[in-house]
Amino acid sequence: MQKNKRSKRIFKSSSAQAALEFLSTYAWAFVAISVTVGALYYFGVFDFGKYLPQKCLFPTQFKCLDFSLKPTQVRIKLLNNIGEDISVTSISITNDATPPVSCTPSPAVPFTWSDALTQEFVFTSCSSGGYLSNERTELKISMSYYAINTPSMPIHSINGKINGRITS
Amino acid sequence: MAGSRRKSQSSIEYLSIVALTFVIIVPTTYLFYTYSQESTDEISDSQLTKIGRNIMDTSESVYYSGLNSKAVIDFNLPDSVQSATIVEGRELVFNISTHFGISEIVFFSAINLTTDGTNCIAKVCSLPELWTGGRKKLKIEAINPSSVRINST
Repeated sequence: MQKNKRSKRIFKSSSAQAALEFLSTYAWAFVAISVTVGALYYFGVFDFGKYLPQKCLFPTQFKCLDFSLKPTQVRIKLLNNIGEDISVTSISITNDATPPVSCTPSPAVPFTWSDALTQEFVFTSCSSGGYLSNERTELKISMSYYAINTPSMPIHSINGKINGRITS
Repeated sequence: MAGSRRKSQSSIEYLSIVALTFVIIVPTTYLFYTYSQESTDEISDSQLTKIGRNIMDTSESVYYSGLNSKAVIDFNLPDSVQSATIVEGRELVFNISTHFGISEIVFFSAINLTTDGTNCIAKVCSLPELWTGGRKKLKIEAINPSSVRINST
């Protein structure tokens, strides 16, 4: 009877040891994997957005023809495809960062933009909002305008997006 | 002993295959999802441009056909459209929601546009039938020598 009890204890102890060894082995593996994944994340391996094409998206009424992203400067060329002469009352650039990117737009508003003509907008002195050289960025551009031939001049707004890499 | 080794080898092989599959599938899913969101905005914009031009062209055609002439157009309005209004009888304005904000898509008319008087406040007439996406039917009718009325059938 006593012999049977002892053998049971030995068996229990050996299985507990096996369980502990199993846990410690896989805990080390878990830690190693976590550190590796963390390092890969830190070096931007999981930033899959950088594999997306560089793009400038605007409604077809203000077609985006070209754009460039330089350190401290954003240039964008739009076509007035709306079918009317308009007066641009405001244009601004921002992004989702806190604080957002801040730039000075030109030409100065308000200005008249004739139908079917292209207009180049230059945003200078861009700073903050993670706007850094060789980094990928997503910028949102908002523009307000009114049609010159509409007597009450109701203001309309459009939004566009630039997704690209800032190259020096 | 040999059996246990064989088992652990197959386990490692299985895990490697699963890990490799995840490494391929997860980034690919992310890239396609992001790309498809941009494509959705572009498609909605193109559809709305086509619909707006169709409404303008039909309105002018009805107007120049003479008093009491009418036409019915049907189209599939994108879900991203939030509202539609006629401003001062010459601007048809659609508010469209995109992944980068709400934009107004404006179409200009050479003739005076209107709708049912109950939907008009001051110089702005709303078109509630165009506030949701889906299949729509619009009746465009020359109601008097100076204007064309747009409303649902």
